[in-house]
Amino acid sequence: MSDLAGRQAALVRALLAGGPVPPGFDPARVHLEAAALHAKRRSVAQHLRPDLTDALGDRFRPLFDEWAGAHPRRSGVSFRADLETFATWLTANGHLRRRRWSRTRLPRN
Amino acid sequence: MNRLGVGVGWRAEIDLTVEGLAVDFVEVLAENVPTDPLPESLRVLRGRGLPVVAHAVSLSLGGTDPVDPKRVAHLAAVADAVSAPLVSEHVAFTGAGGLDSGHLLPVPRTREALDVLVANVRAVRQDLPAPLALENIAALLDWPDSDLTEGQFLAELVDRTDCDLLIDVANLYANSVNLATDAARFLDEIPLERIAYVHVAGGVHHDGVYHDTHAHAVTPEVLDVLDQLCARVTPPGVLLERDDDYPADTELAGELSAIREIVERHV
Repeated sequence: MSDLAGRQAALVRALLAGGPVPPGFDPARVHLEAAALHAKRRSVAQHLRPDLTDALGDRFRPLFDEWAGAHPRRSGVSFRADLETFATWLTANGHLRRRRWSRTRLPRN
Repeated sequence: MNRLGVGVGWRAEIDLTVEGLAVDFVEVLAENVPTDPLPESLRVLRGRGLPVVAHAVSLSLGGTDPVDPKRVAHLAAVADAVSAPLVSEHVAFTGAGGLDSGHLLPVPRTREALDVLVANVRAVRQDLPAPLALENIAALLDWPDSDLTEGQFLAELVDRTDCDLLIDVANLYANSVNLATDAARFLDEIPLERIAYVHVAGGVHHDGVYHDTHAHAVTPEVLDVLDQLCARVTPPGVLLERDDDYPADTELAGELSAIREIVERHV
């Protein structure tokens, strides 16, 4: 069973995290599947976070692709939580202005 | 096996459409359905006496990681909330090594992978309120070392777990194009009497690969696989899945009529 676990993990790394294609797999098909998984993840992102697609416009796709390639979704992390990480990354890297509420000043005493 | 008839996948985006279609049952994607409260449309359909099957996509029954008990509990809660006569999930894994692919990935068709599936299915089923049907998936890639054909693999899986089968004819067609699976041999190898229901969906050819999108019209080739299946056995139910780019109501109605015509042709 541990052998299968390692082989599944290696395939998933190849599909999501740029890992090497495991021996015996057709590299073209692994790349095709990787592209399909990425496109699905991006489609879910567009569906769940229209605020980000609206704010970024044409920049959404390249920025999402850049972020997603370097940040595969971890097990146990929901799509929504994953996309919150994307939003934080966008802000931290200057692609998105901070949200209004985070700029609101606290009332003075 | 309970007769279900011809049905359609209930989705929140087309809830009113589904309520207006002439269908005998519906299926919900458990992961997308809240139970407290249940969407009103589902209560309407239940009120009419329409059976609602609970379908899951994220249990990763073929994965070596333990199945997430929260996902099983939610599926069970949905099945309870709609009084599902049946629950279904895929023969697949969705992630490994701490990463989640967000989609269904094929398992190698080996004894080792069968053992993992059998153990997970047995564990999960104890917590489900209805019989579990297992579904064949559409894959874009295949493992290099499979000992069994897909039909043999599924036959052994349902024999060892005493589960039912959900046969997706669009997935079977996809695999026949993409992985050279022999669809007729597949149908010869599976225990037809264990088919609880059948999935039909649309897709599109692109660069020599068939993509099972659930966002395009059902193709004649997929309906031909349904026809081949119905020539062998009358399935208790056939369900049309549409998940995106929703067409006009009349188009969905037309696809349901085409399905019904094929089923009844062989009765």
